[in-house]
Amino acid sequence: MKQKSQGISSGIYRYTHRCESGVNIHDIFVERSAFRVLFSYVGATCLLANVCRTLLSKESLCLGSFWSVPFSAIISKCLQYNPVKKESLVIMPAFGIQLEQHFWSGRVDRKFVPISKILQPVLNECVTPVTCYWSLALLLRDEDETMLVFQNLHPPVKLLLPIWKALCAFTNTGSISPS
Amino acid sequence: PLIPRPEQPIQAPLRSGDGDGDVPAVTFLLLRRPRSTNARTGSSYFSYVTSPISHAMDGQSRKHRILMVSDFFFPNFGGVESHIYYLSQCLLKLGHKVVVMTHAYGKRSGVRYVTGGLKVYYVPWRPFLMQNTLPTLFMTFPIIRTILIRERISVVHGHQAFSTLCHEALMHARTMGYKVVFTDHSLYGFADVGSIHMNKVLQFTLADIDQAICVSHTSKENTVLRSGISPDKVFMVPNAVDTAMFTPSSNRLSCDEIIIVVISRLVYRKGADLLVEVIPEVCRLFPKVRFIVGGDGPKRVRLEEMREKFSLQDRVEMLGAVPHAQVRSVLISGHIFLNSSLTEAFCIAILEAASCGLLTVSTRVGGVPEMT
Repeated sequence: MKQKSQGISSGIYRYTHRCESGVNIHDIFVERSAFRVLFSYVGATCLLANVCRTLLSKESLCLGSFWSVPFSAIISKCLQYNPVKKESLVIMPAFGIQLEQHFWSGRVDRKFVPISKILQPVLNECVTPVTCYWSLALLLRDEDETMLVFQNLHPPVKLLLPIWKALCAFTNTGSISPS
Repeated sequence: PLIPRPEQPIQAPLRSGDGDGDVPAVTFLLLRRPRSTNARTGSSYFSYVTSPISHAMDGQSRKHRILMVSDFFFPNFGGVESHIYYLSQCLLKLGHKVVVMTHAYGKRSGVRYVTGGLKVYYVPWRPFLMQNTLPTLFMTFPIIRTILIRERISVVHGHQAFSTLCHEALMHARTMGYKVVFTDHSLYGFADVGSIHMNKVLQFTLADIDQAICVSHTSKENTVLRSGISPDKVFMVPNAVDTAMFTPSSNRLSCDEIIIVVISRLVYRKGADLLVEVIPEVCRLFPKVRFIVGGDGPKRVRLEEMREKFSLQDRVEMLGAVPHAQVRSVLISGHIFLNSSLTEAFCIAILEAASCGLLTVSTRVGGVPEMT
């Protein structure tokens, strides 16, 4: 049960790498933003207040009060903050990889990809109308779409590089040995 | 050959007005600097930007990171697009780093690498009018800033006055303090509504640029009058053609029949109406003359009607749209090249025809007289 940990951090993201009982675990931790938590509570309170006002003031109901409910529902949905505590990539040699998302609420989403399905990990530059960022994706066999390794986070390329190298080493050893 | 190959060291005029046009240089702004040779690159003769900026370099050839911005780039085909492409390739050969920024074409969006390691950003802004991005004043600022910072750009080079993305990029780059160069490729008017608006925008964007490049003296006059910038800032660098691609035919053509070739977009601006008047007249006066007309456009119908009316089906051959790879084979089948445009800042078609060994006849407009 060897445990080796190395860390790099940049901004709100922090990267650690551990080896536990034969598997490699790459984690990216995110710091929780207090402002966004506050805004999500504000949004929820807004929605609750609007609903109560509409229900309680029966005499002075108008179109505005009717439409304020879905409007505040949209606002609270936008402000909703389901914070990700960390995203992990667990590499099981000669077996596959597992993508995990740990949320602050305690929920964990996991997804397993067998080694035979992975063709190649790639570092992509994604261009949107307002920005351009790097992302790590996996090319899969028999699939048109690539699978993103980190779905909720946009860590900087400095943190993605060691993970990409580890994945390349993993897929190369996997392709050499018969699966 | 009429035009020197790009590998030979070529001296371009330092200031416009010195050049007499008989050495139509290469498409990049050269400044011959007899400095000490840099052992790594082998030739430190050329610096990309002009003397006021390179004084800071202390005689060492410095490598720049250049961002070319225009709405017009491949897969759209045209003069400006090939200019940007060939210019970028030449700069890459000199050791500089070049990045091109343009808007997305259909599904082609994101980052692409083309020949020579040229990186192209197809930014997903929708074009709204004639391949131009929607001119929102500040909404392109985030993506332009991101690209400038992540590529560590040192010089921003905008192309074509009619490109809104180019103007916005120049404005934002200059606000952030980058060095800015602008190249104008066409002549524009002063009187119609579109031109008036564009000239106003040009006066605003070009007020603070470092240098401007025009492709002929006429174009320089036109740009200076439209934008109000000082003529000292404007350099004249004529366009060039790849002579390796446009070589004359190895066989001599027979002189029983004189073949006149016309290759252009058949639109009003390129003088298609003049062709309709001239071709029957020439065919009547000279029985041994044949025409080959390549290209497509709205005026093609008029040319077909002219053919029918004067029964010139055996003397006028209509080829339709000619792909760029086949232009040379069409050109070498003729003796004379005819260009009938109504306005032209610099006619590359004439250069291509001359490079293939044809005699050229053209309307005396714009920058064409400077080419002789």
